[in-house]
Amino acid sequence: MKNRIIKIFVIAIFFSGIGCADLEENPVGLLAPEGFFKTTKDVEAAIFGAYGVIASESLFGRQFASALMLRSDMVDIGNRSTSAERVQVNDFNMDDRNGMVSRFWPVWYQVINAANAAEAGAISLGLSEAEINPYIAEARFIRAFSYYHMVRVFGDLPYIDFAVSNPLALTTISKTSEADIYAGIEADLVFAKQWLPNSFVSDVRSRPTKGTAASYLASVHLTQGNYADAYTEAKWVIDNRATFNYQLEADFQDLFRADKADALKETIFTFDFLGLQNLGSLNDDLMGPMVGVRNTRQLGFGVNVPALAVYTTWNALDYRRKVSFTDSTFLNNGQWVGYLNFPNEKRPHIAKWRRFPGKANVDGRFSDFNYADFRYAEVLLIASEALAESAGVNAEAEGYVNQVRARARNWAGTPTAFPANVATGLSKTDFINLVLEERRLELAFEWKRWYDIKRRKLGDVVFKGPGSLEPRALFDPTRDYLMPLPATELILNPNLAPNNPGY
Amino acid sequence: MMQTVRFKIPPNAGLRPSRSALKVCLSALFGLMLLSSATFAQEFTVTGKLTSGEDGAGLPGVSILEKGTTNGTTSDSDGVYVIRLSGSQTILSFSFIGYTTQEARVNSRNTIDIILIADITQLAEVVVVGYGAVKKSDLTGSISSVKSEQLTAYPAISAEQALQGRAAGVQIQSNNGAPGSDFKIRIRGASSINASSDPIFVIDGFVGGVLPPPEDIQSIEVLKDASATAIYGSRAANGVILVTTKKGKTGTTNIQFNSSYSFQEEISRLDLLNGEQFTDYITEINPAYVSSGENTDWQDEIFRPGAIQNYSLSASGGTEAARYYVGVTSFDQKGIIKGSDYGRFSVTSNLDFTASKRLNIGLNMFAQRESQNGTITQEGSGGINNTGVISSSYKFMPDQGIYEPGGSYTTALVGDPTDNPVAVANEYQNESLTDRFQGNVYGEFKILESLKFRTSFGATVNNGRTGIFIPTTLNQGRNVGGQGSINATKRTNLINENYLTYTTSFGTDHSLTVLGGYSLQKFSNESWGATSQSFITDAVSFWNLNGGAIAQPPNSFFSESVISSYYTRLNYSYKGKYLLTLNARSDGSSNFSKNNKQAFFPSGAVAWNMGSENFMTNIPIISFWKWRASYGLTGNQAISPYGSLARFGTVYTVINGVPVNAVRPTSVANNNLTWETAAQFDIGADIGLWNDRLTITVDYYNRVTSDLLFALPLPQYSGFGGVLSNVGKVENKGFEFSFASRNLVGEFKWNSDFNISFNENKVLELPGGNDVFTGSRPGHLIGISSSTQILRVGYPVGSFWGFEYDGVYQANDTFIPGAGFEQTAGGEKFRDVSEDGNLNSADQTIIGNPNPKFIWGFSNDFSWKNFDLNIFFQASQGNDILSYTLLELETMSGFNNSTTRALDRWTPTNTDTDVPRASGRPQRVSSRWVYDGSFVRLKNIALGYTLPAALVEKMAIQKLRVYVSAQNILTFTDYPGIDPEVNYSSGGSGSGSNQNLGLDYGSYPNAKSFTVGLSIGF
Repeated sequence: MKNRIIKIFVIAIFFSGIGCADLEENPVGLLAPEGFFKTTKDVEAAIFGAYGVIASESLFGRQFASALMLRSDMVDIGNRSTSAERVQVNDFNMDDRNGMVSRFWPVWYQVINAANAAEAGAISLGLSEAEINPYIAEARFIRAFSYYHMVRVFGDLPYIDFAVSNPLALTTISKTSEADIYAGIEADLVFAKQWLPNSFVSDVRSRPTKGTAASYLASVHLTQGNYADAYTEAKWVIDNRATFNYQLEADFQDLFRADKADALKETIFTFDFLGLQNLGSLNDDLMGPMVGVRNTRQLGFGVNVPALAVYTTWNALDYRRKVSFTDSTFLNNGQWVGYLNFPNEKRPHIAKWRRFPGKANVDGRFSDFNYADFRYAEVLLIASEALAESAGVNAEAEGYVNQVRARARNWAGTPTAFPANVATGLSKTDFINLVLEERRLELAFEWKRWYDIKRRKLGDVVFKGPGSLEPRALFDPTRDYLMPLPATELILNPNLAPNNPGY
Repeated sequence: MMQTVRFKIPPNAGLRPSRSALKVCLSALFGLMLLSSATFAQEFTVTGKLTSGEDGAGLPGVSILEKGTTNGTTSDSDGVYVIRLSGSQTILSFSFIGYTTQEARVNSRNTIDIILIADITQLAEVVVVGYGAVKKSDLTGSISSVKSEQLTAYPAISAEQALQGRAAGVQIQSNNGAPGSDFKIRIRGASSINASSDPIFVIDGFVGGVLPPPEDIQSIEVLKDASATAIYGSRAANGVILVTTKKGKTGTTNIQFNSSYSFQEEISRLDLLNGEQFTDYITEINPAYVSSGENTDWQDEIFRPGAIQNYSLSASGGTEAARYYVGVTSFDQKGIIKGSDYGRFSVTSNLDFTASKRLNIGLNMFAQRESQNGTITQEGSGGINNTGVISSSYKFMPDQGIYEPGGSYTTALVGDPTDNPVAVANEYQNESLTDRFQGNVYGEFKILESLKFRTSFGATVNNGRTGIFIPTTLNQGRNVGGQGSINATKRTNLINENYLTYTTSFGTDHSLTVLGGYSLQKFSNESWGATSQSFITDAVSFWNLNGGAIAQPPNSFFSESVISSYYTRLNYSYKGKYLLTLNARSDGSSNFSKNNKQAFFPSGAVAWNMGSENFMTNIPIISFWKWRASYGLTGNQAISPYGSLARFGTVYTVINGVPVNAVRPTSVANNNLTWETAAQFDIGADIGLWNDRLTITVDYYNRVTSDLLFALPLPQYSGFGGVLSNVGKVENKGFEFSFASRNLVGEFKWNSDFNISFNENKVLELPGGNDVFTGSRPGHLIGISSSTQILRVGYPVGSFWGFEYDGVYQANDTFIPGAGFEQTAGGEKFRDVSEDGNLNSADQTIIGNPNPKFIWGFSNDFSWKNFDLNIFFQASQGNDILSYTLLELETMSGFNNSTTRALDRWTPTNTDTDVPRASGRPQRVSSRWVYDGSFVRLKNIALGYTLPAALVEKMAIQKLRVYVSAQNILTFTDYPGIDPEVNYSSGGSGSGSNQNLGLDYGSYPNAKSFTVGLSIGF
């Protein structure tokens, strides 16, 4: 009896314990990188991952776009009690621990890492060029697009163009020079232009086509002052606009109506936010609240608010001013007031990202906007500027501006006379300035202006000159055309030192 | 009487001989046995009978020792003994567990009968340890025990709360005062920085079991040093709390009924500006401001009298063959803020059967339902959309009314248009329900008289559901047309424990207990949830999510983990004076990384009962004196399931207006990731004086946790933020003292218990030696930098980071330049710490330490005739508090109401002040918001009266006691906030629970209670 019981217990121990102690982890519901890439469908999912991160709060949902807006003379800080980091970006007294930079810097590299991983995954499939190169081209386009933004903001950068499996191995690399980064960007865009399709199903504009790659090439050349190349690419896009289905929208307002965003023919590259949906910071856009009027029914934060001069210097006959600005709104008590009676910042606010957010929170967050990074109007303006620079002012160059102005004259279906066509016979300098002004107004609040100020070195003029819209005595051209790399990166990798001048 | 060594471990009996660790232990064991050899002459024989002083029955198993020798024997089943002595003038010592040791001079007598008296002092108590129990005098580890009377001294929301202030080295803090909120328990400080520092609970041997209500608990043992905890291996670094529930005893049935009712109110309020004062203040900033003309005291509007009803009914008893304890408890709390309630109901059933002479089997069952209605407090980010009821009651304009003329709730007219507190209290719905079930069966088989085998199987199932509905009467709901969400979790914990215990003594001086076992435990964790917006009506609540026009992405999650462990312990005692304990556990865990699946945790301890030495017996005041020392390693699993694996994360991506499948690399693998290891040294003494009228326990410990888990910062240009790695060290060292004194023992009795703990927490190593900044600000205080705390080598975890406030600028001061800093009279002035003539982020420094220098608890029990009185104080000394509440209220920017400190604001005519003038300025963390958080709190005062036995016996009642008591009625503190005993953003078990200490924002205040109660025993 006793022995039998002992036996039972001994057996029980064996069976209860040792038999089922398997310590290997087999996660359900999680994706392991090993063996993930099996078909082009998986490569596509990895490419799409990059788009999701681009359409997040850290980049074009708020932080990165806001930083570019505030840096320019077109957008000032409204509520100066907002986060100090925003005020510093706006006022040119940021330091290397700026919170906006520390928000968007890592996220840009997440986009780049996603693109690199997709490229590596595509190559690993070992398919024929015809089958796989369109995917590689899309991944390389995303990388080029990302570095193009980054290099304009920071100059020399750590340049990673491969899938990272051991991040610690990267702690000793040096910065890559601006020129080499531009070379990489151009190589990626040229490859993309060669292999991307002319269009996607449903003609979506949140994925790049040949036309998108060429448009960005035009912009990249323009930024570097390679005007002849810029013109060539822009002209190529214009000539092939039918292939890519590009055209100016008839009504300027339609560009900023979320409900029309998916069908716009003018869009060249855009970030698709879906209304009233989000997953954490993904698909979370707060441009609406950031530009909205405080303590009114807009429920705005009143942060990104243009200086009053931006409004008052803009001809009231310009339909684009009307579309771009909120100059009156409802107070909480239902009273309709003009901007002089706004409760806090008594000046017109931005309307492009607030007036028609489609399906969205009442305050405009989680909107249905597609935020366009590039539209056909800009291709026309690039062609005009590049042509004037490389071949002098001529009718073709004037014509591109006139196309943009002609559309602006359509006041919601009613033809108006303003803005008139470009006066012929302008000097090259005057014409270039006119194109830059046209860009300032046409692309107002679309985070383009800062890049124009930077590439044309306009800082001293627009921040310290007599007609300054937003005077900034602190502006220092030896420092402020670049932002500082985050201090934390230089601590981890001293080879990145020195930081940009002045920081 | 010589005894040959008969020590044999049955082959294959649970101990795995292949385990090298075990081998070491076993050979050590055999070595010790060989020591047992001593011979002596036999010249004089004494015999006698040993009886119990209680009932006169013979006492078997009493140790009889010839003093100063190793010669001894034990009494037989009738209590009769025979001993041969070396001479007729020696001294005999009689000792038995639970009885006072007695000595008798032989004086040539051949017969010596002794009546042994039951020892009521603590030192003879049996103390529960991991996988067993030992006599307190034989204990080598550092363990604090808390008994059921202390746990039920006042109506406690949980046993955790009841444990507050009762044990040295144990700090328990409420994270929030809301009904049903959790408590943070730290044993000897926080052993980790990023992983959990919560101790593990072991309920009647069930590791990670569910904590029963205080009424069902017999005792709680807190295991503190490595010797006591190492047998729990990779989960023991934070200490172990053993809970023993009540069991039935053979004898008559005992029915116990307890009932109490408590009235509650908030512990204190803030003094705020009234409508008129507020209007003055705002007008100073905005001369165009027009007051709404009301005068609302928002604190009046949200607080209400709270109440607790606590009932428990239990029955216990049994026969030789079967014993039972069954209990029912019910606890219902109506919170002091509208819309907040908590309730729990549970049943406990503990059955033990003597199946045969050799076999005992038993069953512990526990089932509980917990329900909670919550409101918004301590909001993580509460701008327009998630306004907290408490913070809103402070900051909302007092010159506004509750309702607009149309009947809708008012929203703030200055600052962000937040909801008013009444709207939040009335409209926000948050209902959670948790059902827990736990069952544990065991069988204990006596293979030999000295060898026991015990096996148990247990299961815990924990189901939780939380539903939230935000109607359109609140900003957040209005924004989206109403929002409903429901989230459910299901957690299971299955355990099987098997162990053998071998107890023997050989020679007269050597006693030995060896234990070895195997345990297998599986955990699984499931959760899922859904959210939907835009409802036709606010009436649907969260029970009609399909009625919402817009669904949000659903979520679900699953993880499971396994721990497979071997453990062993050896207790050796020589003459009851020299004690040795060796422990070891080997844990294999699925959570561990590929290259480190097994972890080994050894510990050892020695103790010396110095008081039993001859040279001490001459010192009459010393009745007991034991030295203890221990050292060992314990672990913190720290790694969550799948935490060491590389991952692609899913990304929410929209293409052509439709969400699509998308992924990106989100984490890299670390195949060498290991657990955190705590190495702890402990030296201590247990001392009994004046026949144990006064007992003292002293401990010094030093615990260094190394291989701390850190998300090692990676260069962000790699695309990864960090990889979980083992870098960093943190140290906790300190002293603990406990005193238990029976001051008066006559008709008027007075007992005091005092414990005090000094712990010093210090970061020893960080990744790359670099400072690590962390942030804890409420999200809507957007002016504050995101670095509010710092981890720095040489400083404690949780150190506050900010500027040094230097008072207010006066008109003729030199203004320090600095972008964003004021340079005007009446402005905030900060110290130029970096002395570069400029104010900037380089001027931030460590401005406070939230860790207390010491904490103490002091309980006094008085009784006289049928009256009893208990007074219990609890205190914390030397800890700083960073108050975001006061920062928000007193920045003086005119965004919200302020405290009455605003009346002392700087004006050209009131310059002698440190409150700046009313003016827009950035919110900034500075020493201005750091306060001394020390406090002494009268936690409980209770006066009871037990009705005379003669009176109640007529009613068939054994004992009837009625009492009145009060909790938290007195607090001595300089902290200007409402309650120093709160912690913002410090709940859960993640990094925030270690790093966010001493923060205050919008916390639900703890309550003052007045209780009347009754307890009846039948």
